[in-house]
Amino acid sequence: MAQKPKVDPHVGRLGYLQALVTEFQETESEDAKEQVLANLANFAYDPSNYQYLRQLQVLDLFLDSLSEENETLVEFAIGGLCNLCSDKANKEHILQTGGVPLIINCLSSPNEETVLSAVTTIMYLSSPGSGSHPELTAMPVVQCMLRFSLSANTRLRNLAQIFLEEFCSPSQVAEARSWRAHSALGIPLPKTEAPQQP
Amino acid sequence: MASNGRELGGVFDHHVQRAVCDTRAKYREGRRPRAVKVYTINLESRYLLIQGVPAVGAMKELVARFALYGAIEQYNALDEYPAEDFTEVYLIKFMNLQSARTAKRKMDEQSFFGGLLHVCYAPEFETVEETRKKLQERKAYIARTTKNKDHYMTQKKLVTEHKNTKNFRQDFHSETSGFCAAAVNTSTGNSDPCFPYSCELPLCYFSSKCTCSSGEHVDRASNSSQDGRNHDETGEHCNHKDSLQKMQIKTLKNSVACPGAQKAITPSEAVDRFMPRTTQLQERKRRRQDDRKLGTFFETSTSSNEVVIGPLLPDIPKVDMHDDSLNTTADLIRKKLKEVISSVPEPPEDKLEDMHTSHSVKQRRRI
Repeated sequence: MAQKPKVDPHVGRLGYLQALVTEFQETESEDAKEQVLANLANFAYDPSNYQYLRQLQVLDLFLDSLSEENETLVEFAIGGLCNLCSDKANKEHILQTGGVPLIINCLSSPNEETVLSAVTTIMYLSSPGSGSHPELTAMPVVQCMLRFSLSANTRLRNLAQIFLEEFCSPSQVAEARSWRAHSALGIPLPKTEAPQQP
Repeated sequence: MASNGRELGGVFDHHVQRAVCDTRAKYREGRRPRAVKVYTINLESRYLLIQGVPAVGAMKELVARFALYGAIEQYNALDEYPAEDFTEVYLIKFMNLQSARTAKRKMDEQSFFGGLLHVCYAPEFETVEETRKKLQERKAYIARTTKNKDHYMTQKKLVTEHKNTKNFRQDFHSETSGFCAAAVNTSTGNSDPCFPYSCELPLCYFSSKCTCSSGEHVDRASNSSQDGRNHDETGEHCNHKDSLQKMQIKTLKNSVACPGAQKAITPSEAVDRFMPRTTQLQERKRRRQDDRKLGTFFETSTSSNEVVIGPLLPDIPKVDMHDDSLNTTADLIRKKLKEVISSVPEPPEDKLEDMHTSHSVKQRRRI
């Protein structure tokens, strides 16, 4: 399939991750890209890898992949971000490099897992009481979460409810409710849902 | 299939077993064939869905088998869940997430009463509270783990600073911060050959918006041996050393011996410094012989005063080398020498001298 990089077994974890990043950047095969991205996203689950992932700038790799056309790549990338964003250093990096708009965009994905990962990522990036980053609790986001909280999809509903309870002030929620009554919303629900009536 | 998922207990996409990936590049093939899938904290759950259970009334045995991995809070059969003929579907709820993860990993694709089990997570069964708790625990776990690593790294930093590596470590940090600034400004990042990344890792991901903040975090460790792979606690430090050696800080190169506190060598360091023990022994032997030859060349007298220990001593003092394998080797050599001495008195002179010199040499440090 993809050409095999010369990975010395002595090189260890960092070398392996480096080989993955290299393959991701060089390969022409979409399949290989998906496999590698999934591999990296799963590595992002384990905190012991975080320093390597930062060193190899995998966080930026994930953020860039959010703009890919291939939905699978987006799903894996946001999954990777979801896995590692609750770490303080990773969180700062994402916030500082302007990753928030990209993540919010994922809320409108037709892919269920992408949306779920995006909601969780937004939660981990926020601090309770809507203190940290204003974009994370901006009106469109709160409105989106309101819609999700009424969805028939239990996982989505649960996550949205938690977001509204812990990261939004009651006034924000009330405002979003009143807005909903009047304006058309731009963020559709994921495809797995039948359209919900408010 | 996903549209059925609206009712609880319906079939979801994440319940469906994906096909195993057979196109992986060899270097990243795992031990078991696996599908291409990403597991996030959303997907993982204390609830496990078990499909493919043969309908032979073996629920108790099934639960008992899963209970090996942790306490089970509740379990029940899912009668409405679409199942193949003669199979049943069960839901098992574990007391904690880690047990569920282990059980899933171990029991998936295992045979049970003649059938193959398919085990997957079922997060849709969670209540809001359970989901909330799950997310909080994950966050706490990460905070705990990175805090421990920070603490460990700080401690190790003190130890290594104490061993007079203080200055170069500060230099290293300031240089990497400097590098990171350089990396942001230059798109290739290969401008300065003395920075570790450009020599060691020209292949890290560069994007147009790259702002490298890793300089601040270089001293954050990842030294937990949590996943127990070939990376151990000295990883961070040895990575530094590896890069440093490449940076050719000559004065420091010699002082960056593996400090006494560190016992193991990571593979990356091993690549640079590894030499088989037998080669080293032979090396030293050869050097001693050369020295001796030089010495005797300049010496006028070759009296036995020059020899450290006379070759005709009946027994050779046994020195414990504090290492089993070295002791074994030494014993073998001693035995051989005894044999040779008893048969031919003259030739072993050199060997004996070597032996004694080697014994009087300071204890070898174990590699």
